[in-house]
Amino acid sequence: MPEFFQLTGIVVVFVTTFLVTFILTPLVARTMRAHKIVGKDVHKVSKSEIPEMCGLAILLGLTIGTLSYVLLFPSAVRETAAFIGTLLIAGFIGFVDDLRPLSARIKPLLTAFACLPILLLGTYTPFPVIPLLGPVRLTIVYPVLLLPIAIAVTSNAVNMMDVMNGSMAGTVGIISLAVTAILFISGETTPAVLSAGLLAAMLAFYYFNRYPAKVFGGDTGSLGVGAALGALSILGRIEAVMIVALIPHIMNAFYGLASVRGLRERREIRQRPTMLLDDGKLEASAEKRAPITLTRLILAKGPLGEREIVQGMMFLTAVSSILAFLTYWITVVGKT
Amino acid sequence: MRNLIPLAAIEVFVWLILLLSTFLISKVAFAISFGDATLIQRVATETARVAASGVIILIWLLVWKRVTDSYFWRTVSRRKATA
Repeated sequence: MPEFFQLTGIVVVFVTTFLVTFILTPLVARTMRAHKIVGKDVHKVSKSEIPEMCGLAILLGLTIGTLSYVLLFPSAVRETAAFIGTLLIAGFIGFVDDLRPLSARIKPLLTAFACLPILLLGTYTPFPVIPLLGPVRLTIVYPVLLLPIAIAVTSNAVNMMDVMNGSMAGTVGIISLAVTAILFISGETTPAVLSAGLLAAMLAFYYFNRYPAKVFGGDTGSLGVGAALGALSILGRIEAVMIVALIPHIMNAFYGLASVRGLRERREIRQRPTMLLDDGKLEASAEKRAPITLTRLILAKGPLGEREIVQGMMFLTAVSSILAFLTYWITVVGKT
Repeated sequence: MRNLIPLAAIEVFVWLILLLSTFLISKVAFAISFGDATLIQRVATETARVAASGVIILIWLLVWKRVTDSYFWRTVSRRKATA
C-alpha cells in the first residue's frame, strides 16, 4: 500500500479513536458512579472513591476507531478483526474480574484464550524474528504454545502495572508510540494503524486517569490494553521488540511474582511493598517478604509522591522503548 | 530523575544479557534437530528448541532478579545507615 494511504489510515484511526475515547470516558465514569461501581484511591491520604471499569471507554474507542479503518480499507478486515477480537475477549475477562474477582491462577489461563481470534483467522506468521538470528521456523509450537503465552503475559503484565494514577495509560502510551513508529518503518501497514489507534486511546484515557485520577480503567481496561499489545507484536511480527519494550512491565510482574513465590492476588499478599506516609508520600517497605515491585524499586532511594513514581515508570518505559528501537535495528541488520 | 539512573542502567544490562541469550539460543537451542521428515520429528525438534530456549530465558530472568535484588537491598541498607 502506498505511503499516502498508510498515513491516511493512521490519521483517521488516531483521530476517531481519540475522540470516541475522550467523549466516552466521562460518560462511562458517570454511569459507573451512578451504579456505585467505584474503587478507593489507596495511594492518597483522603482515600477518595473513583469510578471503576472506565477502561470500557478504551475498548469502545479502539473498536470504533479501528472499524473506521476497515470501512476505508476493506482489505485490512482480517487483521483488524483479529485485533478487535483479542482486545474484546481480554476486556471481557477483565470486566468479569472487576465485578467478581477471579483467582490469580485462573485469570492468566483465561486471558490466554484471547488469542483465539488471531489463531482462527490465521493472522499470525509462525516464524518469529529473533535478533541476531532472523526468522525461525516454529510452525507447530508457535500457534499451540507461544501465541497463548504471548497474550497471557502481555495482558497480565500490563494489568499488574495498573497500580497508580496514569501508570498504565502513560507507559502503554509510550510503548505504542514506539511500536507505531517501528511498524510504520518496517512497512507493516495494518498493525501500524492499529498501534496508532492504541496510542490515541491511551492519550485520551491518560487525560482523565493521570494524577489525581478522575477515573480508573479497572481490569477491563488493563487486560484489554495488554492483550492489544500482545496482538500487535504477533500481527506485526515484532515479538522480540515487544519483549524489550515491556521490560519495566516484566520487571514489575516477574519480581512481584518471584518474591511472593507464585501467582497470588493482591488481596492475598499480606506484606505490602509500599507504605503511605502522613504527608501523602509513599515509602518502600523494609519488610523482607514483601514483593519487590517496580514501585518499591523506584522508592529504594527514599519516599516520593505518586506523581513522581508514575513519572519514574514512564521514564523507564521511555528507556525500554529506545532499547526496543535498537533491537529492531539489530534485527534488520541481522536480516540483511 | 537522577534517582532512576541505576534502574535505567539495569534495563540496559538486562537488554545486553537478552541479546547474549538470543545468541546462545541461536548457537545452542537451534542447533538441536531430530530431523523434519515426519510430523513427530518436527514436533520433537520444535519442542526441544523451545524448551532449551525457555531454560536460557529463565537463566536470563534469574540473572536479572539477582541484579535487581542486590541493587534494592544495598540501596535500602545504605539509606538506613545514613538516616
